[in-house]
Amino acid sequence: MLVREMMRSPVTTLSPEATLKEACALFQARDFRHLPVMEADRLVGVLTDRDLRWVTSSLCPGRLGLEDPVRGAMSHPPITIAPLDPVEDAARIMREHKIGCLPVMDGARLVGILTGMDILDTLIRLTGISLPSSRLEVALADRPGELARLTAFLAARNVNIHSILTYPDPDQAVRTVLRIGSSQARTLADELTRDGFRVLWPQPKPWPH
Amino acid sequence: MAALIHRAEYAQYDFGPEHPFTPARLDMLLDLLRELGVPLDLQAAPAATREDLLTVHDPAYVDVVEALSWGEPKPGADAFGLDTPDNPVFPGMDLAARWLVGGALQGARLLMGGAETRVLQLGGGLHHAQRSRAAGFCLYNDLAVAIRALVDHGWHVAYLDLDLHHGDGVQSIFYENDRVLTISLHESGHYLFPGTGHIHELGSGYARGLSVNVPLEPFTGPADYLEAFEAVVPQALANFAPQVLVVQAGADAHFDDPMGDLVLTTQAFETLHRRIIELADQYAKGRLLVTLGGGYEARVVARVWAILVLTLLDRPLPEALPEAWVARWLPLLGPHPPRFLQDPVPPHPPIPGEDLRHRHNQDNLARLLDSLSRFWL
Repeated sequence: MLVREMMRSPVTTLSPEATLKEACALFQARDFRHLPVMEADRLVGVLTDRDLRWVTSSLCPGRLGLEDPVRGAMSHPPITIAPLDPVEDAARIMREHKIGCLPVMDGARLVGILTGMDILDTLIRLTGISLPSSRLEVALADRPGELARLTAFLAARNVNIHSILTYPDPDQAVRTVLRIGSSQARTLADELTRDGFRVLWPQPKPWPH
Repeated sequence: MAALIHRAEYAQYDFGPEHPFTPARLDMLLDLLRELGVPLDLQAAPAATREDLLTVHDPAYVDVVEALSWGEPKPGADAFGLDTPDNPVFPGMDLAARWLVGGALQGARLLMGGAETRVLQLGGGLHHAQRSRAAGFCLYNDLAVAIRALVDHGWHVAYLDLDLHHGDGVQSIFYENDRVLTISLHESGHYLFPGTGHIHELGSGYARGLSVNVPLEPFTGPADYLEAFEAVVPQALANFAPQVLVVQAGADAHFDDPMGDLVLTTQAFETLHRRIIELADQYAKGRLLVTLGGGYEARVVARVWAILVLTLLDRPLPEALPEAWVARWLPLLGPHPPRFLQDPVPPHPPIPGEDLRHRHNQDNLARLLDSLSRFWL
């Protein structure tokens, strides 16, 4: 998934000469936590609610007043991302710098903004339930063709796959979590086990039938 | 006493011999009741009309079901959940499903007209059917059509779903309707179909707080289930003050059911069936409409539903199953058929992990009650 599919636009921005009072009013009124700061057409920084709270705090040595300009409070230089970068890059950059937003720059032009909340929305989209479905979890051997064998098995039974997520397992297998468009996951799990797959969920009944 | 609704045409709702939702489940029940000498005054209801369906379903969806039902090929039917392993196409399926919807609707009409206060539809309970999608063996949502009629009559309707699976179709159809309270207890969607029914699904708009979900961990047994039921259901009903209680009484939360992993017993079902009558009397002017639902183990479903019928008819429960019945259904009951109506004690070997399961259920319940307390008076 690309940044341009997840970002928000158009973007509300601040001038570096705006006062902290004006910035605060905007944060409160629109429920913002981050605003890019633009000087003419150039991105010069990002003002966050954390910046605002710190520079106006009695604990801050160079404490600013409400009429002081945003320029003295903003974080800079801004850390940015491009619209065609993938979501995993955005997540990694935000995590590395421990920041909550990335202005999205197409060359020198600000085209959107991506926040931690947008990344969470994406996680929900990737893992969430969009259609009635069952969970099927299989530990696949880490070699070519195993996932294909699993999906071919489901295709042969006309079972639709709504989503599929894989991640490495401690014991060298590829843990594969599928959401499938059938309520009969246990029947499929039994057949998968017979076909030599290691099924993690659903498990067989704990007592003999 | 209760009015019983059924007709032979319900058996037409049949997805074929390999499919779990088989009409044999109902045949076994009726045969057991007859063998037990229960006088069965079964009322036959007319099929629901297309107009009845359109009170909750999209015309485009009903069009596709009708076309497939006549044998007309419809490419893209799977986008409506049709022609799938759960909902294969069969000739006449439109009418077969409308018989079931008609039964539930007839039950609603008996209540609205004041002719009856307790009605059991011997069939149906197709709670997964959505506005424009078939799912989980459910084609048309008989419960939702009945609820809609009751709402249009001016009543507040409480819906209680005891099926193993989340009652997602009924919930979604009335998610924004402040005249309908939906409560579903089910195995957690983290593990089981349809994947929804989490505690944070609370309804929207004016109906916020009127969708109530009690997801339970796999292998949750009677103690935790009944504790959650008592912590949530009476208070939700007291707060909503409905004029009628509609119940989907699926039997698949039983420990022997192959579909999922809740481990209720017949004794727990008896407690639940007695409680729904008490709750209807206490909070819903004594008006109760019950349908059947899921339940896929031949050794179980007729027994659980016989308990339901006998309880609703205020009749005593026999201990032993009639030998003639057991003999007749032996091919489905297997080499070690049940001999008694109730489960043995203990019902099954202990299942490890009880402490963890209990703690998780308790935490979930506390979070749910915390959310609901904002909406309850």
